[in-house]
Amino acid sequence: MNHTLTTILLAVVNLALVLALSPLIEGIMRKITARVQSRQGPPIRQPYYDLLKLLGKEDIESGETPLMQRFAAYLSLATILSVALLVPMGGRVPLQSGGDSILLIYLLTLCGISSLVAALAAGSTYSLVGMSREMMAMMTLEPLLAVAIVVGAIHTGSLRLDDVLGGSLYGAGAFPWAGLIMLGVLVFSLQAFVGRVPFDTAEAETEIMEGPMIEYSGPKLALFKYARMAKLFVYCALFVALFAPWGNALVYPLSLVIFLAKVFGVVLLVTLIAATHARYRIDQVVRYYAGLFALSLVALVFAVNGL
Amino acid sequence: MSARDVLNQIKGKFDGTILRMDVPEDNRLFLYIRKDKIRDLVRYVFRDLDARYVISIGMDDRPHSGTFLVAHNFAFDKDHVLLSLLVNLPAEYPKIDTISDIVPGANWAEREMRDLVGIEAVGCPNMKRLVLPDGWPENCHPLRKDVPWNFVPPEYDENKEYPFDEAPKGCVAVPFGPFHPTLDEPEHFRLFVEGEIVRGCEYRGFMVHRGIEKLADSVLTYNEIPMLAERICGICGCVHSVVYAQAVEQAAAIKATERAEFIRTIMLEIERLHSHLLWCGLASHILGFDTLFMQSFRIREPLMWIAEKITGNRKTYSLCLIGGVRWDITPDLSRDLRGVLDGIEKEWIRVADAVKGDKNVQKRTRGVGVADKKLVKEAALLGPIARASGVAIDARHDHPYAAYDKVEFDVVVEDGCDVWSRLMVRVREVFQSIRIIRQCLEKMPEGPIQLKLTDELPAGRFGMSSIEAPRGESHHYVVTGENNRPRRWRVRAPTYQNLQGVPAMIKDQQLADMTISLGSIDPCFSCTDRMEVVDIRTGKMKIYSQEELRKLVRNSEAGRP
Repeated sequence: MNHTLTTILLAVVNLALVLALSPLIEGIMRKITARVQSRQGPPIRQPYYDLLKLLGKEDIESGETPLMQRFAAYLSLATILSVALLVPMGGRVPLQSGGDSILLIYLLTLCGISSLVAALAAGSTYSLVGMSREMMAMMTLEPLLAVAIVVGAIHTGSLRLDDVLGGSLYGAGAFPWAGLIMLGVLVFSLQAFVGRVPFDTAEAETEIMEGPMIEYSGPKLALFKYARMAKLFVYCALFVALFAPWGNALVYPLSLVIFLAKVFGVVLLVTLIAATHARYRIDQVVRYYAGLFALSLVALVFAVNGL
Repeated sequence: MSARDVLNQIKGKFDGTILRMDVPEDNRLFLYIRKDKIRDLVRYVFRDLDARYVISIGMDDRPHSGTFLVAHNFAFDKDHVLLSLLVNLPAEYPKIDTISDIVPGANWAEREMRDLVGIEAVGCPNMKRLVLPDGWPENCHPLRKDVPWNFVPPEYDENKEYPFDEAPKGCVAVPFGPFHPTLDEPEHFRLFVEGEIVRGCEYRGFMVHRGIEKLADSVLTYNEIPMLAERICGICGCVHSVVYAQAVEQAAAIKATERAEFIRTIMLEIERLHSHLLWCGLASHILGFDTLFMQSFRIREPLMWIAEKITGNRKTYSLCLIGGVRWDITPDLSRDLRGVLDGIEKEWIRVADAVKGDKNVQKRTRGVGVADKKLVKEAALLGPIARASGVAIDARHDHPYAAYDKVEFDVVVEDGCDVWSRLMVRVREVFQSIRIIRQCLEKMPEGPIQLKLTDELPAGRFGMSSIEAPRGESHHYVVTGENNRPRRWRVRAPTYQNLQGVPAMIKDQQLADMTISLGSIDPCFSCTDRMEVVDIRTGKMKIYSQEELRKLVRNSEAGRP
C-alpha cells in the first residue's frame, strides 16, 4: 500500500516538474542565447506567456486530415509525459513496475513518430519534406540511445529501469570504456534528440518553414511547443540518469536540487552548442550519426567483454 | 585601349555596318548598326573581343525619329570602355533578331523589351511573359509613348493565371515563395524537386512592378528622379540615385563638383559597408547561425546612426542631384565617421577571423551554389558572384566614377566559385570600404557641393553609367529629352543579371542549399522589379477581393494632394 502511494506521489511530482519547469528552462535557454548574441532577450517567463496565448486562441481545423492533426498534437505531449514517468528525477523511477527499458525506447521513438503523423496530416509539400528528413534522422539517431541502454542492461544483466538508469553504464569492473564512449556519443547527439540547431533539419525555418509544424496554429501548436520544451527537459533528465545519476539516494528535497542543477548544466551545454553552430544539411546529419553509431557499436563490444 | 581603338577594331571588321557613331568621351562609344548585321556584331563583340554583356534597352522613339530603338550594351572592363550598339527599327515593324542564343544573359532583357515596349526578339528561345502581370492583355505595352502613365487596359483579366512549365518526370513542383521566411519580398520560384535534389526551377517575379521608369519619362523632372531612383531599392538606394545622376551628367556633358564626388564616394561606401554587414547577418540566419546574424547587425548599427547624422536618414539619404549632392560632410561629422570606422574595423577583424576558421559554416557553404567562370560569362553575372569565381570585375576599378580614381583599394577576388568564396569576398571587402572612406576624408577638397545649373539640359543625348553597387554593377541608361525630363531611363540593377544565374547554380543540389544559394547573390528583388509593397492598415478583419484591393489603392491615391 505504502509502495503504491509513493509511486503515485512520485509520478505526480515528475509530471508537475516537467510541466512546470520546462517552459522555465526554455526561457533560461532563450535568455542565455540572447546574451551570447549581444541581445537583451525576452523575459525568462516569456515561454509561459507564449503557451497561454496560443492556448487561448481559436482552435482552427486545418491541413489535409484535421482529425489526425489533432491526434498528433495530443500524442506528442502525451508520449513525452509518459516518458517522464519512466525517468528518475531526484528519486527513483516512478513507474518502474509498469515497464522496462524496452518500453522507454519505444516511447522515445513514438515522440518522433508524432511529428511524422503531424507532417502527414498537414499534407503540404514543405511538411512532407520535413517528414522525410525526420524519418531519415530517426532511423540513424534512435539506435544511439538504444545502444546506451543496452550497454547498461548488459552491465547489470537486467532491463529494469532502476538498474539501467543508475550509472550502470560505467559497469562495475575495470576502466569504464563502454560507458565513456557512450557518454561521448550522447554528448554529441543530445542536440539532435532535442531537435535544436545544428540538427533541426526537419523543421529548418529558413528552408522549409518549420516543416511538420507548417499547418499548426493555436492550442494544437501550443501542445507541440509544450512537448518540444518538455522533450528538452526529459532528455536532459535521461542524460543525467544515464551518465551522472549520483545524488539520487540523498534525502528527497536535496536530491531534487542536485538533480535540477545537473539538468541545468546539460541545458547550458545544449544552448551553447546551438548558439555557435549553423544548421547542417540532412545528408551531413545522417553521415554524422552514422559515425556516432559506429562508435557506439565499439562501446557495445567493450560492454559485452565486461569493460 | 580607348573607345577609339575599340571603334577601329570593329570598323576594320564591319565597315559597312556602322551607320553612325558617337564618341562623347574616351570611355563611351555609341554605334548605330544596320539592323540585319546585329547578330554578327554582337557575336564578334561578345565572343571574339570578349566584352561583358551589360543590358539591352528598348525604347519608343517614334515621336522624334519615327522609329523604335534597341540598344545592346557591352563593357570592355579591362579597357575601361562602355559600348552601346544601337539599332533603329521601323515603327510599323518593331522586330529585331534575337541575341539570346549568343548571349544567354540577354534573355530577360529581350522578354522585358517585348512586354514593356512591344519590340519582338525574333527567334528567342524563351519568350514567356516576364514583367507584365498575368492578366495584362497582349497588345498593350506600357512604355510606349502613346500609353499614358496611369492607363489601365479595360481588357485586364484578373483571373488569368501564369502558365507554369510542367514538372519534369519524377519530380515534384515545390513552390518557393511568393511568401517565404527567407524572401523579403514576394517572388515565386517553382522548384522541380526529386527527393531532396533540385532538378530545375522556373522563376516568376515582377509581382509588384511600380512603373518607375514610366513615371520618370512622363511625370517627374531631372532633379526629382534621384529621389525616386533612391527608392528603387531598400538597401542600395543611394547607388541608383548616383548612377542616374552620373548618366545624365555624362549625356549633358556636365561634371559634378569635386567635393560632391568625394561625398558621393563616401556615402556609396557607407552604403556598401552596411549592405555587406546586413548580408553577412542574413546569410548566417539562412544557415541557422543566428549568433553571427545578431552580431553583424549590432556591428552595423553605428553605421546607420552616422548616416542619419550626415543625411537625416538611416537609409534613404536623398543625397544626389544633377551636378552635385545635397549634404555636406562637416569636420565634426568627419571626426564622428572616423570613430565609427575604427570601431567597425576592430570588431570586424574578430568576426572575419572567427568565420575563416569556422568548419561548421564551411561545411554548409563550400561547393554549394557553384557558378563557374563560364556561367559568369554566359549569364553576365556581376559583383561578388563574379569576383568569387575569379573574375576580377569591379566597376569602381574598371569604369572609375566619382572619386574612385583618386583613392587606392584592392579588388577582392576569390576562386572557389561557391557560397563560401562569396562570403569571403564580402567579408574582405568591408576592410577595403573602410580604407576608401578614410582616404576620401583625408583628400576631400574644399569647395561647393553643388553646381549652379541655369541652362536647360540638351535633348536627345545618350548617357550611360555603371556603379559598383554592393551586389554588383548597377547600370543606368538615359536619353535626355524635353520638358526637363528624360525620354527614356533604363535601370539595370545587379540582381537582374545575377538572378538569371540562379537556376544553373541550384540545379542538382540539395533542397536545403537552395535558400543559401539564392541568398548568396544577395538578391534584391525590389531593384529587379522596381516595385513597392503597399501597406494597408485596417483595424477590422476582412478578406478583400482583388477588385476591392485595387479600389482601395486607387482611392487612397486619389485622396492625396
